[in-house]
Amino acid sequence: MVIELIVRISSGIPGLDELMGDGGGSFVDNTVTLIYGPPKVGKSIFSYQFAYEGLRNDEPCLYISTDYGLKDMERNIANFGWNLDEYIDNETFYLIDAISTIAGVEVESKPNYFLASVHNPTDIMVKLGMAIRQITSKASRFRSVLDSLTTLMAFNDEVLIVRVFTVYIMRIKESGGTAIVTYTEGSASCKVENMLKAIVDNIIHLDGENLTIEAMIGGGKIKAHYDITREGIIVD
Amino acid sequence: MFMKDQEVKVLEDLLEDVAPGDLILVHGPPKVGKSIFCYQFLYSGLEGGEPCLYIVADYGSRQLEQRMMEFNWFLRPYIQSGDVYIIDLLTRLAGVKVEDSVTLRFSSVQNLTDLMVKVGVGTRSLFRKSSKFRSVLDSLTMMFAFNPPSLVLRLVKAYKTRISEARGIGVVVHTIGTVEPSIETSLMDLADLKLCFDGEKIQIESSAGRRSAQYTITDNGIEFWGIK
Repeated sequence: MVIELIVRISSGIPGLDELMGDGGGSFVDNTVTLIYGPPKVGKSIFSYQFAYEGLRNDEPCLYISTDYGLKDMERNIANFGWNLDEYIDNETFYLIDAISTIAGVEVESKPNYFLASVHNPTDIMVKLGMAIRQITSKASRFRSVLDSLTTLMAFNDEVLIVRVFTVYIMRIKESGGTAIVTYTEGSASCKVENMLKAIVDNIIHLDGENLTIEAMIGGGKIKAHYDITREGIIVD
Repeated sequence: MFMKDQEVKVLEDLLEDVAPGDLILVHGPPKVGKSIFCYQFLYSGLEGGEPCLYIVADYGSRQLEQRMMEFNWFLRPYIQSGDVYIIDLLTRLAGVKVEDSVTLRFSSVQNLTDLMVKVGVGTRSLFRKSSKFRSVLDSLTMMFAFNPPSLVLRLVKAYKTRISEARGIGVVVHTIGTVEPSIETSLMDLADLKLCFDGEKIQIESSAGRRSAQYTITDNGIEFWGIK
């Protein structure tokens, strides 16, 4: 008898789970996936879908947002007909908002809402530790999104962000999380881009038309067409 | 494409030129199977009775066990028997409390001096256990992110000396393009044998000449065929 040791979790992207493994989920549990490509091809939308799929299935989500504050995120997500309120209220959605403080936006205090700054990646990691402790006291597995590495690199030394990212990966993995991380192709040096690709487990490239799985634990390379619709990304 | 009529070669056929004391540099772009090669090198050694010193530098020892399990290679019994000696450089970064055991040592990717001390202790302990042993350093990528490249290069030299003195076979993994070309050239110069992976083909380069083979990553690890 062959024991299936690989547990896959659902991506929340219609068509992707079927493409990757008989509909049994896409991402191997407890791994980190890099979603990269040029600007405006759906990387953030991919992240919302991944997070929302978890929330709908009672998996907490720890979201680090460097481009959108809570209000903007709620609005972006509402555009696709999804509602975050319930998950903010029941404290399964945890947000580390690294942009509102520099944008000067007033925000109300909630236990699952952490303010940090893109200028201070060390503080983001401190907040990550606090959020993980809260999440793991309630759930043994969770999802995490870091959107995006590019913004962190724009405000800090690139190699410093590689180190911070390594800490992020280790913390997520040691506490039972499964993460996706977005990065805009070509925004860092080749050296740093190679490092990023080396330290993640899985790599998915989006180019506006096609989704290419460049690397995936327990799977080979796959390319498929996708569309961004009013229900989010759909893979053919 | 995989040709069924060609004999699938095992790792040992590829490494026939390797002698005790040699350093093998495994290099190539990200995600072509370099780490899987290391797991296979480790596991085939353990199954053949050769103990192994394994330095995990890009993730933690728990992830090493998980990743190997995907190929049905179970490390736990060998950790318990002391046949594998692991130095874990990243788990402490996660902020989790960990304690050293006899064969699992936690160090830090930012403290290469401490790593060398632990490599010394590890090689001595394996050398006493067996006249033949293997060692893997997977990989230099995170070391380059956390340290000056020249320091990492010095570490590789020291590592080579240690393994060579103890007559082990050492492997070092490097992801191409994660450091300046001049440092990559120096790394190549240190190696007795170079294995270059590109996703489809592996090139083997040593003083005995060059060879190449095709490879595929399967559920059983890397399968090689068509060695030329």
